[in-house]
Amino acid sequence: MRLFKYLIFLSFLPLFSLHAKTFVYCSEGSPVAFNPQITTDGTSNNAVSYTIYNRLVDFAPGSTEIIPSLAESWEISKDKLTYIFNLKKGVKFHKTKYFKPTREFNAEDVLFSFNRQRDVLHPFHNIGGGLYEYFQSMEMGKLIKDIVKINDYKIKIVLAYPNAPFLANMAMPFMSILSKEYGQHLISKKDADKIDHYPVGTGPFIFIRYIKDSQIRYKKNIDFFGTVPVIKNLVISITPDANVRYQKLKTGECHFIYNPAPSDLPSMKANKKIKIVQGAGLNVSYLAFNTEKKPFNNKLVRLAISHALNKSAYIKAIYMGHAIVAKNPIPPGIWSYDDSIKDYKYNPKLAKELLKKAGYEQGFETEIWTLPINRPYNPNGKKMGEMMQADLAAVGIKAKLITYDWATYLSKANKGEHSLIQMGWTGDNGDPDNFLNILLGCASIKTGSNLARWCDKKFNSAIVKAIRENDQKKRSILYKKAQKIFKEEAPWVPIAHSVVYRAMLDEVQGYKLSPLGHDIFSTIKLEKSKK
Amino acid sequence: MIKYRGLSLGLFIIFIFVLLAIFAPIISSHDPSSIYTDFLRISPFQEKGFLLGTDDLGRDILSRLLFGSRISLLVGASVVAISLTCGTTLGLLSGYFRGTVDTIIMGVIDVLMSFPSILLAILVISILGPGLNNAMMAVAIVGIPNFTRIVRSSVMVEKNKDYHLAAVSSGASSGRIIFKEIFPNILAPLIVQATLGFSEAILSVAALGFLGLGAQPPLPEWGIMLSDARPFIESNPSMVTLPGLCIFFVLLGFNLMGDGLRDYFDPKLKRR
Repeated sequence: MRLFKYLIFLSFLPLFSLHAKTFVYCSEGSPVAFNPQITTDGTSNNAVSYTIYNRLVDFAPGSTEIIPSLAESWEISKDKLTYIFNLKKGVKFHKTKYFKPTREFNAEDVLFSFNRQRDVLHPFHNIGGGLYEYFQSMEMGKLIKDIVKINDYKIKIVLAYPNAPFLANMAMPFMSILSKEYGQHLISKKDADKIDHYPVGTGPFIFIRYIKDSQIRYKKNIDFFGTVPVIKNLVISITPDANVRYQKLKTGECHFIYNPAPSDLPSMKANKKIKIVQGAGLNVSYLAFNTEKKPFNNKLVRLAISHALNKSAYIKAIYMGHAIVAKNPIPPGIWSYDDSIKDYKYNPKLAKELLKKAGYEQGFETEIWTLPINRPYNPNGKKMGEMMQADLAAVGIKAKLITYDWATYLSKANKGEHSLIQMGWTGDNGDPDNFLNILLGCASIKTGSNLARWCDKKFNSAIVKAIRENDQKKRSILYKKAQKIFKEEAPWVPIAHSVVYRAMLDEVQGYKLSPLGHDIFSTIKLEKSKK
Repeated sequence: MIKYRGLSLGLFIIFIFVLLAIFAPIISSHDPSSIYTDFLRISPFQEKGFLLGTDDLGRDILSRLLFGSRISLLVGASVVAISLTCGTTLGLLSGYFRGTVDTIIMGVIDVLMSFPSILLAILVISILGPGLNNAMMAVAIVGIPNFTRIVRSSVMVEKNKDYHLAAVSSGASSGRIIFKEIFPNILAPLIVQATLGFSEAILSVAALGFLGLGAQPPLPEWGIMLSDARPFIESNPSMVTLPGLCIFFVLLGFNLMGDGLRDYFDPKLKRR
């Protein structure tokens, strides 16, 4: 009789395990493209960079520690100018419906990937506009003097000057490795555009298909060179509304949801089937002034608005307390954060006086662009916009709220069409350079990520000097100086550093929240907890 | 009077809302868009000074509802005014002259009618850009076909009556016949349609506001209030319920009134 029971139990087992092998991740938006070289947003990173691709080095899950990936090991010369990477052998590119690789990964692919961004003559350089926001903002083109293939599994990168965060930069999504063979295949078929939309990588998951604004499907890569994922299929279900995501989680339609709404957290905590993971995000939310446009080219106007916005009220109403007020462009979790800087206090009277001094006694009319989707650094851009609107109205500035869909919002902002714009940033590598240079450096005006379009010579020389310096103490002094200049000139109003949340069903195991805001799916297991 | 129970109830509800809208600044104790950050998401009857509580940004819900009723009634009135004028003119012309005029006008109207109304409104807004005025224009355009059809069919009936023949034989001009003779005789169905159009207009503009295409913040429009409160449907249900109830009652009022008027104008029912 007992044997019989076991038999019944066993016969059901395959059913259970089949169900347990598809993992559904409910994300907040559609990826901008399927190639990390040309994207900068966290949404694309989660859907593409860490699922489909690998880099020479990667961040260890849940930390900013650098671990070997496509490069087995590396040597750095004493003058910190030459990096030699020993590449892993036997790494296979994804076999997909649209491309069947015939050879394994080697140094040619590294050259192909890096040179697309570096070399104007590269056949793919101008595909998709030739704009590589990260690569160009970080001045990687100037930094990397030469990339030499020593043999098929050895590559040498020569730098023009020492660069402290170089290895960390190599682990960032934009340094992902694409297949050269696939590139040539596309060129022979005259379909070069597809490289950014039909990905072929080496990562833990293989892209199957993408239905715009609805879902992305992947299957696990059984030939993955690292630990092969446990889950068989990965589905990213695109669900922009945070409340809908929560409802889907409750009904089990999603296993895991990105950025639950702060208003839902209490009810999630009360639900035994759901667990919440939280961590201090390395992020900043800000309102940038377009300093190329009137009246924001006037420092007094920028200071006036800095005094007019009641940031602590936003923290209470929008973040529901799950954030702290920001005063610097970098979050306190990053070294060199200058805590001695005093924030501009909320003071509408002073703001009015400053406006009067600037010659805008009657106020003026302007636009605020509000974030169209919820971001880890800002759960509700529209609502924050309404509060900003009310605060600005109190000092006589009439602001209209404007928004576009996410991809349009980013592309219009990069062209500098905005006046006041809400934006934010989550650090990619834990280095202050990743904030100060990309978001405020002069080089980033051209690429668009400097939304304030602000180029201050003193500030820029400090951050440029800091990046060539290897001693962290000296760098720290320079970055503190930069933060002081930032505060004086006020090209942004820094608003908040928020706590980051993820919610998942109890059966989801093996997830580690990354301080850099990535979600890594390769370690996830689905198992009913044994209670 | 018992016969017109619905009509009088509808009139009563609308009368109350009109009063509330007119005296909104006197009744409400706060500015509808001023933000009280110390009083976030207060439930009704919890805090003195905020009778119906506050929303997620700490704005007084009562004041917002009161000022919202101004917007909704104004929206209803202007939308009906626009679609009534355009629709009636078109209907009179096509019903009276028939022929080519009729074919052209009714062709356009048929095309308009074949679009789902909210989709057509969204289409119009995507051309004009979001905003309360544009939303009203969009809804007004969507409302035109109803009036045109009713007027046209009524005109065609009236044209066969003897008084029309008398007017023609005494040499009256077309303009005089249309506006002085026929128009007064088709007023009854028109009034009914206008009343029902009110509720339709209010609902459509609220829906557009809900989708973020209608009135723009910080206007205290009911549709916006609904969509704003949606994230809090579990934690603060009153925030969603109150604007929803307001829309419900105003619509109920107009629909009861419209139905009542139809009964009132119907000669067959009168005789009974």
